Amino acid sequence: MKENEHGFFRHGDSAYLANFSEAEREVLINLVEQIIELLAERVDHHSDDPLAAMVGITMHDTPPDDEVLLRLLPNAYADQVDASEFRRYTESTLRQKKQAHALAMRMHLMSAVDGIVEVDHDGANAWLGAMNDVRLALGVRLKVEQNTHEDLELLAPDDPMRGVYAVYSWLGWLQESLISALMDDSE
Amino acid sequence: MVKIKDKIEEELQAIFSNDAPWITIVWDDPVNLMTYVTYVLMELFGYNKEKAHELMMKVHTEGKAVVSSGSREEMEHDVARLHEYGLWATLQRGDQAI
Repeated sequence: MKENEHGFFRHGDSAYLANFSEAEREVLINLVEQIIELLAERVDHHSDDPLAAMVGITMHDTPPDDEVLLRLLPNAYADQVDASEFRRYTESTLRQKKQAHALAMRMHLMSAVDGIVEVDHDGANAWLGAMNDVRLALGVRLKVEQNTHEDLELLAPDDPMRGVYAVYSWLGWLQESLISALMDDSE
Repeated sequence: MVKIKDKIEEELQAIFSNDAPWITIVWDDPVNLMTYVTYVLMELFGYNKEKAHELMMKVHTEGKAVVSSGSREEMEHDVARLHEYGLWATLQRGDQAI
């Protein structure tokens, strides 16, 4: 994945461009689709009350069992009672907002012509949110902690996590390039 | 009795005054990029780059930072938006130990 050497760059006043190889595009689409699937509602726990479901109130108020989901949908309060109450009224909306970021990123990737993705400011924010969710998910699986980067750099060539770490690092670089273009201090 | 009355009045005053009794805290996270945290704080709160960078550095070096304060509803809104962008945030009463 060395073909894209620039990542995102500013194009005109408010557009941001990146040129992806076919392989890069496939990797990104695959990752973002996994996030979309992961964020799907917990159907078995959804409210039977159609009105409650319509306004995004769900019956479940417990934190997700899955470690990745818990990182994507964290508790808003240290207090468990407050955290449960908040989750009941907001988790569904949070899932939808995160899915919307991922769906926007997927749409941009699917409609790219000659591998060129062009996004405006809002599109860029959706990409940042979605890329960050993918990195958070991979980070949990890789058990990334403050001082583990050196260990991860030294993974054996045949360790499957090595490939995951390569994608994780590449996404961080891509995210950084877009932030740099947005902040307009890229050199 | 006077003491209890004073106490209640104090509480009521705190509830109805603009004394910003709730706070939003962002916690350090090993995955989120420093530039990303800075950018999100600028986007969501309208902070300039200097202020956002300062808050990000506080999160990075001290493990946490108070990024906004206001009513409970406002802080719930801020936390929801921070979660939308993957920052690890919680809210609590401003007079509680963090």
